[in-house]
Amino acid sequence: MTLALDVLPHVPEARATPVVALENLVVDYVSRTRTTRAVDGVSLSIGAGEIVGLAGESGCGKSTLGNAIMQVLRPPAQISSGRVLFDGKDVVGRSRGDLRRYRWRNVSMVFQSAMNALNPVMRVGDQFVDMMRAHERVSKKEALVRAGELLELVGIDRRRLRSYPHQLSGGMRQRVVIGMALALRPELVIMDEPTTALDVVVQREILQQVRELQAELGFAVLFITHDLSLLLEIANRIAIMYAGEIVEEAPAASLRVDPRHPYTVGLLGSFPPLHGPIERLTGIPGSPPDLSAPPSGCRFHPRCPHCTGEDVALHARQVGERPLLRVVSGDHRVACHRETA
Amino acid sequence: MTAPILEVRELSKQFRSGGVLHPSKLHAVDEVSFALTPGRITALAGESGSGKSTVARLILRLLESTDGEIVFDGRDVTRKRRRRDVLRYRSQVQMIFQDPFGSLNPAKTVRHHLARPLRIHGIAGRRDVRSRVEALLEVVGLVPPKKFADAYPHELSGGQRQRVAIARALAVNPKVVIADEPISMLDVSIRAGILNLMRDLKELGIAFLYVTHDLASARYVADDILVMYAGQIVEQGPVDDVLASPLHPYTRLLIASIPDGDRNLEPIEIRKGTAAAAVDPAPGCRFVDRCPLAIDVCRHETPQLVEAEPGRIARCHVTAPRQREDLHAHPAA
Amino acid sequence: MSQLQPTIELAPALPARRTRVRVPGWLTLLLRSPKSRVGVVILGFMIIVALIAPLISVSDPTAFSLVDARQAPSWHHLFGTTDQGSDIFSQVVVGARRSLILGAASGAIATAIAATLGILAAYAGGIVDDAINFLTNVFLVIPTIPLLVVASSYLTSRTMKSMVLFLALTLWAFEARILRGQALSLRNRDFVLAAKVAGESTWRIVFGELVPNMISRIAAGFVLVFYISLLVDAGLTFLGLGDTTHVSWGMTIYWAQTNSAVLQGEWWPFLFPGLALVLTVLGLTLILAGIDEVSNPRLRDEVRVRRHFLRSLVLPTRRAA
Repeated sequence: MTLALDVLPHVPEARATPVVALENLVVDYVSRTRTTRAVDGVSLSIGAGEIVGLAGESGCGKSTLGNAIMQVLRPPAQISSGRVLFDGKDVVGRSRGDLRRYRWRNVSMVFQSAMNALNPVMRVGDQFVDMMRAHERVSKKEALVRAGELLELVGIDRRRLRSYPHQLSGGMRQRVVIGMALALRPELVIMDEPTTALDVVVQREILQQVRELQAELGFAVLFITHDLSLLLEIANRIAIMYAGEIVEEAPAASLRVDPRHPYTVGLLGSFPPLHGPIERLTGIPGSPPDLSAPPSGCRFHPRCPHCTGEDVALHARQVGERPLLRVVSGDHRVACHRETA
Repeated sequence: MTAPILEVRELSKQFRSGGVLHPSKLHAVDEVSFALTPGRITALAGESGSGKSTVARLILRLLESTDGEIVFDGRDVTRKRRRRDVLRYRSQVQMIFQDPFGSLNPAKTVRHHLARPLRIHGIAGRRDVRSRVEALLEVVGLVPPKKFADAYPHELSGGQRQRVAIARALAVNPKVVIADEPISMLDVSIRAGILNLMRDLKELGIAFLYVTHDLASARYVADDILVMYAGQIVEQGPVDDVLASPLHPYTRLLIASIPDGDRNLEPIEIRKGTAAAAVDPAPGCRFVDRCPLAIDVCRHETPQLVEAEPGRIARCHVTAPRQREDLHAHPAA
Repeated sequence: MSQLQPTIELAPALPARRTRVRVPGWLTLLLRSPKSRVGVVILGFMIIVALIAPLISVSDPTAFSLVDARQAPSWHHLFGTTDQGSDIFSQVVVGARRSLILGAASGAIATAIAATLGILAAYAGGIVDDAINFLTNVFLVIPTIPLLVVASSYLTSRTMKSMVLFLALTLWAFEARILRGQALSLRNRDFVLAAKVAGESTWRIVFGELVPNMISRIAAGFVLVFYISLLVDAGLTFLGLGDTTHVSWGMTIYWAQTNSAVLQGEWWPFLFPGLALVLTVLGLTLILAGIDEVSNPRLRDEVRVRRHFLRSLVLPTRRAA
């Protein structure tokens, strides 16, 4: 597949500063009756060309985090404190003009269901044109040419520019959305459950496609999903999110062989194995907490098999003190009181 | 082995599509046959549009089949219309739906959901209903039962709602339970609980049909597996054997596509195509455009289900050819 | 039973059910929105007025008194008198009864017909749906007011009963169509299928599963028919085609009009009944808006967004994410 020159990214070769770095980000949903803290002091950095996976179950705040990076949070959600640094500069509270330039050009997003992002009554090509002309001064003709190149980039025949979204299969639609996300050559693409609604074979295709694109164009990816097994295959680094906090962060290989946080262990133990012996799955008893009134101390303690009360001192810390993310080895960080014994 | 309690024979369902000028038929389900046995869980696996949910609804008589028979406990129930017969069938064959948020009436308590089937089928009189409801809640692990009985669906979590749905299905002491993707909308850590519950309920002698697109959970919970593609069954057999050494190329593709932490996303060759039902299908294998093993005959002749090895059935000219002599003549194949 | 997963605490925020005062759930919901709070207050006020009408009406509203005729509002006659000397305040207060009862009755009957037919059509489908649709369309096509005009000129008795019946018969079709639409969207939800699988009969599904989930729309329909009936009845009476013998708001205006009150510069026989009508309709409309807000959570958020936006215009905040 030959790439037109202007589709290549304009990312400088090597860089020390991460593309996006979150510093103690706090996001609240404010309503008349109560405040729910969806993201509570999250720090995360995504380096150039890295695939970072963010895993967590429903209600853990991962989608809110993605939206915060894109600066698309709407009331009642608001960033209460913390910074979102792009290329070292804070994007929170910037002017609308700055943010318009930031979104899609520096950071773009792929949503779960393509039908949420695509206008059902417009042809695919027109949607590309619309999007490009909103960000750059291009003529309709040029935009269409670029759109065609992008479609080929994601493996779709460029004649499909004239199709309507419902005429494409689910997998193709998702690839269109990925193509749109890459149109302005962003340095980071946030993918929020991009394959959850797709069949497993199509999912595989999309993931392979993303891997190829990422290798060629060099953009970074924040891959948000509840499916940890996906991340073990595709991500360089994985962060596990629970109840608005990151509880573990490690390179994918380390996480697979040496998961430290009991939640991670529980998650990994929730996937029935496709090969090998079958043992009774344990899962994790209980349900994720209500974020408007989270448990005291370690948020996982009501569900944690290691919070038994046997060790009185440890138990006191588990229910009273919030554990901080600490390095346990190399690049592997865990927020657990047992690790600091 | 016990005799099967429910048999599906050559079941077909076609939907009319296309319109008045170009009428065409969508073959959602094509001559599907299998049997459900008490105390065994049979998995019906396939991707979206493959027809597996349609099969479930046909068995539950939420849809009318175009052809074929459903035989329950020796009796043909395919066309029964009399309320008494339908009611009797409904008291024996139950369903657990996919969406825990949609399968419970938001305006009614848990108690109502469980009590209704008890009253409709006359299983419990007014006085016993309370204790029966609480007993059911204990069976599915929702304790203390009194608290849960008075709750409304929006007060429960997804996993709890699904347990209520299971309790409702069990209320009538059914012989067959069809579970249509019961865990796909639940959080990962909650799924184990529901899968374990299903495994335990097998002991009660219920025959389960577990409809899913997730082969790994099928392996965990089921004894046998049926793989569907474009409305047809393409492979059938004991779940461990099928997943360890799949015969049909589609099954192989499915297995290779599943993210498995041990591999590292090796690219596999995937050709364009979809598992969805075919419209006015021509003779020939429906998987032929995506199949790496396709030979000439695959394009012209629809392969039939053939028992390639004892207990292992597949629909493929190459891996399960009709003439057994071919297998013996070319053992190296 | 074999060992099963131990359960879990009930999901948090199970609202405590203790209430010292037994406020019905729907009332609390209505009171939540400021719009409908006002509406409930207004309607409540009118209802109370109607209830205590005999106590507060100073004189018989139909009493003639040439001495007091055509008097402007004063302490003695709060709303003034008609050309026949009847006290308008009494007329308005007693007339409230008729209006409210008429509105409520036609609302109830129209809604009952609409709900039954609409939901049945949606659930049963097939021939039943076609037949009911046909019936609905026939009634929809008939224009309300012309029909009432024509019918009332034929009818000898123009009692409230016949008016209620007419209004109900002309207004049910609109609601039926809407309720059918909503029921159609509910019909294929899993819990309806689950009820079917459990063996529930059609009627129990319609009234036990579908109706409880459509209460807000049905209530909205009731309020809608209520205030339309009020307006239509007043309008017809004003035109002389309704019941001009019994006390009602429209009747007061009718007689004022017929007796050229305008020419005399007498504004009070128009203003006060008119105000009463407007106020009642306003109250009902606000309640309708409240019902909408309650049943459509998105509208609730928009209110908040609007306030937030207005606030942010005045005070530019750094944290407007």
